[in-house]
Amino acid sequence: MTAINGGARDVAATVREAILAVYRDTGRPPRETPAASLLGSDLGLDSLDLAQIIVLLERSLGVDPFRDARATTPHPPIRTVDHLVTLYSDALSGRS
Amino acid sequence: MPASNPAPAPEVAEVSAPARLAAAIDAVAATDPDRVAIVTAAGLGTDLRRAVSYGTLAGDVAALERRLADSRPIGVVARASGLAPLIALVAACGRQRVPLALVAEDSRDLVGELRDWSVCGNDLEVSRPPQGRTRREFDSSSPQIVVATSGTSGPPKLVEHSWDSLLAAARLAEQWHGRGWILVYDATRWAGTQVWLQAILTGGRVIVPASRDPDCVARAAADENVTILPATPTLLRRVIASADSDAVGRMSLDRITLGGEAADGQLLQQARALFPAARVTHVYATTELGEVFRVSDGLPGFPAEWLGRPLPGGAKLSTRRDGELLVQLSRDTAEVATGDVVERRGDRYEFAGRRSDTIVVGGAKVFPRRVEDVLRAVPGVADARAYGLPNAITGEIVAAQIVVTDPLPDGVTPESLRGAALAACRGALEPHSVPRVLDFTRKLFTNPSGKVSRRPVGQ
Repeated sequence: MTAINGGARDVAATVREAILAVYRDTGRPPRETPAASLLGSDLGLDSLDLAQIIVLLERSLGVDPFRDARATTPHPPIRTVDHLVTLYSDALSGRS
Repeated sequence: MPASNPAPAPEVAEVSAPARLAAAIDAVAATDPDRVAIVTAAGLGTDLRRAVSYGTLAGDVAALERRLADSRPIGVVARASGLAPLIALVAACGRQRVPLALVAEDSRDLVGELRDWSVCGNDLEVSRPPQGRTRREFDSSSPQIVVATSGTSGPPKLVEHSWDSLLAAARLAEQWHGRGWILVYDATRWAGTQVWLQAILTGGRVIVPASRDPDCVARAAADENVTILPATPTLLRRVIASADSDAVGRMSLDRITLGGEAADGQLLQQARALFPAARVTHVYATTELGEVFRVSDGLPGFPAEWLGRPLPGGAKLSTRRDGELLVQLSRDTAEVATGDVVERRGDRYEFAGRRSDTIVVGGAKVFPRRVEDVLRAVPGVADARAYGLPNAITGEIVAAQIVVTDPLPDGVTPESLRGAALAACRGALEPHSVPRVLDFTRKLFTNPSGKVSRRPVGQ
């Protein structure tokens, strides 16, 4: 949705930027996004927000682990910011 | 400019339908052979512009009729890319009662079904029938005119029509005589045939702009004294939003006929403001059904009281439980599902969108048209399209593209526009309908019929 730094592979920063972009696009104030915070109860992100985050991350990182992994192994539950970072880091390293 | 002296022969309406086009051409050619029938490559101001007179057209029709009588093909597939040869071929095939297929450039793979038919291109030569197969005249059971659908919903397919249905919507009354019509549709598709047939049957001019670029369309309309603009809402929106304002100011339209897509209330208002002398009509037609009804009251959709009672043309409208519009053309024909979903709003039914365009977000339906209407109402947005983007979490999410006005309104920046557009959607739409992806683009992708494509970008 927004041009997120596409060149840098700092996945944690990119995930945070995506979450902040969702807050901004949905008219909510920005907030801190510590690695251990729960996406739902701590950060107030619902399934539509997560759907948007996936699109934003695919655009900036070039992978969609939800789609790419669907045919093979089910991914572990994604409950925290850190889970997201790990999922995308794994997807990127698995691809390269 | 040619004198638009109305002189079509009154007897044209009495000629049998298949011979009517050729008779109309002959009637003008006999009294006013230099009158311009067709102008192509208009709107650029270059010497590519070419005008074809009724006299020339009548000569081409006669030559073709001799060839058809001689080779007796089972049918002819029109391959002419030029409008003048195409019209001559349609007129000649009609009067010679030879079945004709009008197949647009992108539907050429369909002609395999017509492999026994001859082919005729711009040179007006009719190929010899394959394997020497020749024909009998067409009768009531054989196809008379074959047209390819636009493929708005699903792949294009061939549809058979009769000359009666092809000419059913043509208006022959004197007020229509000798007018200038602009043709922005593909001449081989249903909507396009209706424009040039109407023009030629009434001794008028068909103006073909060199491109569908809004500047070119506006200049062609202004330079060639076009008074009637049949167009898709998408094209009209582009002309209003981005065409050269000098050319738009010189356009003297007295009629705008919208079709192919639903027109929203905002566009109807803008058209009235910009062309106050023009009557704006919205035609509801499909390739399969032909014209079903037209609305000219300047409001979107159609009056709710039309449902369930016969319309002036004899058609009857009803809806399925999910809102899909059903049409029964006459008492002895079956109801046809149109694929268009309508919603009751006060005393109107308005078009919510194509059933096949529906986006499903986490099980909830979204009609992209509704989203587009909201986006287009935001100051600084010239046009918008919404579509579904596949998504692992919710199945699909709503994505949208917007074209900004040039220049942007005072105080509006792309970033503020983006915020305003999303805020407008949050205010007017259900949460799952608010676009989660919003991109700026210079131009919306349209399909060959001039309608906005709602497929995801790049597909």
